[in-house]
Amino acid sequence: MAVDTTLIAPQPSALDSYLKSHGLEESHSPHYQTLASQILHNLQYQHDWTSLRIHTHSALVQKALPRPLISGLPPHRIYVHPDDQVEELKRGADLTKGEPEREWVLPTHLAEKWSLRRFGEVFDAIEEEPFGEHSGKREDEDVERKTMAKKRRGGKRLLLATLGDDSTVVYYVVHDGIVKPRQN
Amino acid sequence: MPASNPPTAPDLPFPVFQVSSQVERYLLYDINTISWLRKTHNILGVLIGTLPQIPQQNIFLGLPLELQPEETRLLVEKGLAYTVNDLDRHTQDLASQTPDQIESIRADLYRDGMELARELERNKQEQTREALKKLRSNSSSTTNSDSTAGPDPQTQDSASETTLFDSPSTKEPTQTKPTINPKPWTITPTTSYPPLSRPPVPLFPVLPKVNPSSYALFAHLHGKGYFITPGIRFGCHFSVYPGDPLRFHSHFLAMSAEWDEEISLLDLVGGGRLGTGVKKGWLIGGVEEKEGEGGDGGDQAEKDKEKSGGAGVRTFCIEWGGM
Repeated sequence: MAVDTTLIAPQPSALDSYLKSHGLEESHSPHYQTLASQILHNLQYQHDWTSLRIHTHSALVQKALPRPLISGLPPHRIYVHPDDQVEELKRGADLTKGEPEREWVLPTHLAEKWSLRRFGEVFDAIEEEPFGEHSGKREDEDVERKTMAKKRRGGKRLLLATLGDDSTVVYYVVHDGIVKPRQN
Repeated sequence: MPASNPPTAPDLPFPVFQVSSQVERYLLYDINTISWLRKTHNILGVLIGTLPQIPQQNIFLGLPLELQPEETRLLVEKGLAYTVNDLDRHTQDLASQTPDQIESIRADLYRDGMELARELERNKQEQTREALKKLRSNSSSTTNSDSTAGPDPQTQDSASETTLFDSPSTKEPTQTKPTINPKPWTITPTTSYPPLSRPPVPLFPVLPKVNPSSYALFAHLHGKGYFITPGIRFGCHFSVYPGDPLRFHSHFLAMSAEWDEEISLLDLVGGGRLGTGVKKGWLIGGVEEKEGEGGDGGDQAEKDKEKSGGAGVRTFCIEWGGM
């Protein structure tokens, strides 16, 4: 049987075409932007998140974020503070049916080294709750932001998304400050 | 013991014994001080004493209590304690004792030991007397009941029970042994003062050497009312309890780091997973260096860091995201 010597490159993967279809911005290095896009892809298609958005600038301190962050709406609540959990259990509410809250996601790669300073910089640049695409004018946003502040029990939190070389993504909740653990 | 006999405040500052000048290990020997520290200052330490002849018995340990260097440092900074070089002090004090003093200490110990032994002997005899009295009254009542009514099974039962433990030959031993002269107990004092004098308080307290970042985190958490034990058993630096560990499970596995110390993400993922597996949070923290503070006067910043007990510490808690 004759060997076919013509080499045909395989079709690009769904992720590859997704990454190529998104242009790069100038604010951050291409590495960070691709990383964010890949995490966003994972959230959208593996974890059914909706209303996803990549943030490059901080609305809180009016400058570029240390790296692009993602915000989005999970299909169900991914974090319930233990005190809220107790209250809801007392009320007899079903914890899985709670209204999902919009979350911050910090894209990272497993090979990276982080430090307390870098976590501090990220937390200093974000609000408690991120704003989606639906929020309209800036004025409304400001009003909304004020009402949102200090609303969450446990304060600021984000989801640390760590990408491995085999494109596995693991998600960890990181709190700013001392927040007692959940009793799963 | 603490419930029935609440600890009283020791004379402040109290001495903490450093094993020797070469070793950063700090011991406490006084049970009252230990209970008081636990009750009023959330300082736990670790009991390390075992029985000299059964050293493999290591589940229930006793005196002395070893304090972590961070705990000792905190106590010294608060002015509650001062460190004493145990080896030097002990050698010096023992050498300064005169033969008469040594003899009187021995006599005291002999007297106390004898007193304890006599006390025990008295209790024993008291118990025997009680038992015999009961036996006699029982036997008389059974004879009475025999003559008047039928045998009472309950009285008979208790009478036979007593005779099980007291052989008939040991009747009325009080008459045969009126004087008690048992062998005295050997007493090993847990503290060496008295008879030795209390070590003098130094004019300038010697601060135990600690890792600045771990001490800052320790002081920060302690200041918030947490109880802290060494975390080696859980794979971290400190395990952090919201109350006394006898009543609460720990909330956090804590790890300290310098503000700019590089932390591998794999360590964070591993720590977060480790904590979640045992229903705890993985807590990392260190002294925050704000922008503009650095640059000029690095020594000053270093000094401030040394001074401030837990001020300016920022912490982050990591839990598994569940997805």
